[in-house]
Amino acid sequence: MPFLVLGSCRIRYELDGPETGPAYVLVNGLTQYAELWGAYRDALVARGFRVATFDLLGQGASDKPALFISQDDQVAALALLIEHLGDAPVFLGGISFGGLIALRYAIDHGDRLAGLALMSTFAELSPQLLLLGTALRTGLILGGTGYLQDLLLPMNLSDAWLGPQLGNLEAVKRQGWLTNDVYALQNLMESFLEFKPLTPQLSSIGIPTMILNGEFDFLTPRALHETMRLEIPDSALVIIQRAFHAFTLEKPALTADLLCRFAEDVLSKKWKGDRTVWIAPENAGEPLIPFPSGHDHLRAIPAHETPP
Amino acid sequence: MSTFLGPLDATGRVPPRQQTRVAAFLLSCHGAMVRQLAIALALQTKAAWHAELNSQLYRESEIVSLLLRATSWAPDPELIFLLPSWEAAWLPRPTEDIADRAQAFIIDVAALGHALHAVIRPAALLPESGPSLDPFALALRKIEFESGRLMQAQIMFLKSADLLPFRSAVNTAVDGRHEQVRELWDDMLSSIGVQRRKER
Repeated sequence: MPFLVLGSCRIRYELDGPETGPAYVLVNGLTQYAELWGAYRDALVARGFRVATFDLLGQGASDKPALFISQDDQVAALALLIEHLGDAPVFLGGISFGGLIALRYAIDHGDRLAGLALMSTFAELSPQLLLLGTALRTGLILGGTGYLQDLLLPMNLSDAWLGPQLGNLEAVKRQGWLTNDVYALQNLMESFLEFKPLTPQLSSIGIPTMILNGEFDFLTPRALHETMRLEIPDSALVIIQRAFHAFTLEKPALTADLLCRFAEDVLSKKWKGDRTVWIAPENAGEPLIPFPSGHDHLRAIPAHETPP
Repeated sequence: MSTFLGPLDATGRVPPRQQTRVAAFLLSCHGAMVRQLAIALALQTKAAWHAELNSQLYRESEIVSLLLRATSWAPDPELIFLLPSWEAAWLPRPTEDIADRAQAFIIDVAALGHALHAVIRPAALLPESGPSLDPFALALRKIEFESGRLMQAQIMFLKSADLLPFRSAVNTAVDGRHEQVRELWDDMLSSIGVQRRKER
């Protein structure tokens, strides 16, 4: 198990795939660990990508600072990993809190990236997200990791995924419970509750950017993704049908395919972001569908767009 | 070397030898916390922290009491040597970087408490198949569950505005106690054939 050294901390990472290929770096969400990208690793490597995954500070097998974790340290850890990849084109993808870290990296070091994939990500804390995050933190403190999982699972996954797992939910939760330490999770949550909005800096991101948002994402709803679509010039928003916040866990084949196609389009210079809005297909490999013109993609019902 | 206690006996219990060693370690460190909190309570003059420390003192006492009752004890001669070394480790180590010695002592108590509740995850040692109503297993689950809450007082204190000027010294104190507790806990587990989970 290799580690990178950042100051007095060790960052656990894993590299797979051809050393000469374009690279995909994937950044975990708050309660995740690198193994959860396993399906992505396999799919991306099969399509010629080198894949880098790692545990953020406070997660998995990386060091867990006792009292303070700053987002700056997480971005520095990510920078160290990307530096380690050499000169190959790098695509950076992040989910939720990991998307926020990826976003910060892109603002600071955009020239090092070939493309950016933001999944269930936010550039600022809306009042809802701030209050939800605070309540989740309180839940963690009062009820431990298990209770936080109890809150996040129904919030972030669909009935279609949860239904077959209901009888086996304790086993599903156990790996996350064993891997995550309460104090480290609390430090991570506090580092995201205290951050300053990135929205004013989004327009400086000049690289192709694909923004993926679950159709029914409750935690980070469409409006938060819309901010990024409007501010990042070469971006496109892709809505994942029937998906919630944790669609990377629920629809790995489809999402990995979208990540591959995004990178392949960028490398072959076919990518045109143009702040467009798309609907992802139901299955991997099928074509993306343009969002019906004249309708408002921020609404749940087919309402007509209101001119700005 | 397993990452879990066991193998469990015929009734599904953690073997008494393992129970004894784990309980002795936990009694030693939480007992030390009780004694140090009692002193800290006398030194602390701020009303808010007074209430927190008082609460901590009684919750730590509850852990001690619970372990005494829930453990199936077995003779363990090695404890004659182990207990004095553990007790020595918990002795106060007020940081030299803070001139106010009472404050330095309280920071060390909080650092030790943070380390005990953060590093030691006794419930994570229980195999998935263990019986849910075994008193020792229940005690370990209760201790780990309460640790998350108990730690909050230490987190609030160690991150408080009062201590911001001493952030570096506080970090050093906490990191030092974490390293110490991790090493002793790992050594104790290793002595009963258990390896703490360091990675998945």
